[in-house]
Amino acid sequence: MPAEIADEGTFRVRIEDGRHVDLLGTYVLNQLYITAILVLVVLGLAVVFGWLGVMNMAHGEFVMLGAYCAYMVQEAGWHPLLSLPLAVVVTGTVGLAVEGSIIRHLYRRPFDTFLATWGLALLLREGVEVIFGRGYKSVDQVLPGTVDVLGIPYPAYRLVLFSAVVLAFVGLFLFYRASTLGARIKAMVTNPVLAEAVGINTTRLAQWTFVFGVSTAGLAGALLAPLVRVEPFMGLDYLLSSFFVLIVGGLGTLEGLLIGSAVIGGVDTVASAILDKSAGYIAVLTVSIFFLWLRPHGLYSRR
Amino acid sequence: MNSKLPELLAVHELSGGYGDIQVVNGISTRVNAGEVVFITGRNGVGKSTIAKLIAGHLPLASGRVMVCDRDVSAIPAHGRRHLGLGYAPQEDVVFSELTVIENLTLSFPSRSLDRYRTLFERFPFLHGRLTQKAGTLSGGEKKVLSFCRAIAENTKLVVLDEPTEGVQPENIATMSAVVRRLTERGRGFLIVEQNLNLIRETANRVHVLDHGRIVFESLNRPGLRDALISRLRL
Repeated sequence: MPAEIADEGTFRVRIEDGRHVDLLGTYVLNQLYITAILVLVVLGLAVVFGWLGVMNMAHGEFVMLGAYCAYMVQEAGWHPLLSLPLAVVVTGTVGLAVEGSIIRHLYRRPFDTFLATWGLALLLREGVEVIFGRGYKSVDQVLPGTVDVLGIPYPAYRLVLFSAVVLAFVGLFLFYRASTLGARIKAMVTNPVLAEAVGINTTRLAQWTFVFGVSTAGLAGALLAPLVRVEPFMGLDYLLSSFFVLIVGGLGTLEGLLIGSAVIGGVDTVASAILDKSAGYIAVLTVSIFFLWLRPHGLYSRR
Repeated sequence: MNSKLPELLAVHELSGGYGDIQVVNGISTRVNAGEVVFITGRNGVGKSTIAKLIAGHLPLASGRVMVCDRDVSAIPAHGRRHLGLGYAPQEDVVFSELTVIENLTLSFPSRSLDRYRTLFERFPFLHGRLTQKAGTLSGGEKKVLSFCRAIAENTKLVVLDEPTEGVQPENIATMSAVVRRLTERGRGFLIVEQNLNLIRETANRVHVLDHGRIVFESLNRPGLRDALISRLRL
């Protein structure tokens, strides 16, 4: 048995090397980590769906493309950090082509974007399968080992990932709230006719917002690749959890994204810990259905 | 009198509308530097459609729009703004989720309000509400905000669509004074409006529209203009 209860009535357990670990503290760290992972994965969809209104069913496939970039960098023997710019360039280029050829003609037509991106998702999955095969690929841990956090040994890579997500989120929040470009994006989203009238090239701004969204998904895939099995169908899980987060948190705000990630991550973690992983899925699905029914705009919607 | 002044806007045989429905049929007009041209008429005759066609927010079915001697018919709305055509629409006149200061400075590289100093003296309530969300202003206040934004962009030509709708009378008089002062500096205005007092105080020429066509036109002669306005009051 890897761990045993150290003191009755406390949350401390003794692990294999004889040290005591605070179970509650570990749980809190895991919850923060899961919320950060969800924020990382959903950020791209929050931008593309929440700001541009494009129901991007290929979001998970952009995450998958990013993960395969990490695998390619590993196979080529390059430094693992190169997977990050490669993922941004690859997914950004695909996003640029997709926006110019398909999405641009479908803005403000959500059902059409749903169908078009569903087809795109199939195409990307099949394309990757043709190139890399259907089997799982694994990407090595970049930072093996653990770091003590308030006396709790915690995987180093998870901590780095968490810190990167916090920095990226705060940066994006400040950019959206305080910069002129952020204000222009808000202007384009809320009143595109007036935005054009004041001289904003809404076509170009929407194009780069879309590219930013899918590149973020690609970056998420490259960062997550060492923690998951990389395979052509991995995007489906991310797509579902992303939509659940946006249903609960609400569309169009970064605050909603954060709250939705915390709720979905928390429900999943608690239900999975008490019962099993399937119970976690069922609990998340049930919560999402209740939100669609009772609070369709989520907890922190722009509307 | 104004024929020797530079022509800021020339519209030739303009037609267009919404999808298959043609609202405007073969309109021609011009605005010279230092001139205020009004388009008036009953509701639903195509006044705002003309403004949208000129500003690039609706595609032309036929005809040509020239701004400062340049054909802008195929140029999108944001491009026309950069070529010297400012526009304040009739509806959805502000960015509701942005603050007043963000609305005023969105089209400029910096958030400096220097260019608004004179306008703030004339509309002091705006200066007191800079950090307020524009969506929380009253309808008339939003119109004034939209007017100030369009004026401050400093384009040679400004197209205003129903700028006084819901605006308090004293602010309408101030708007008229601002327009007159700016025409003295060589700017031109095309204004869609139903407020006959404003038209009488401000207009150089007036077009009366009906069923998408210009049915009356006053030349740049105050006598003719006033006679036309008297007829419209009846």
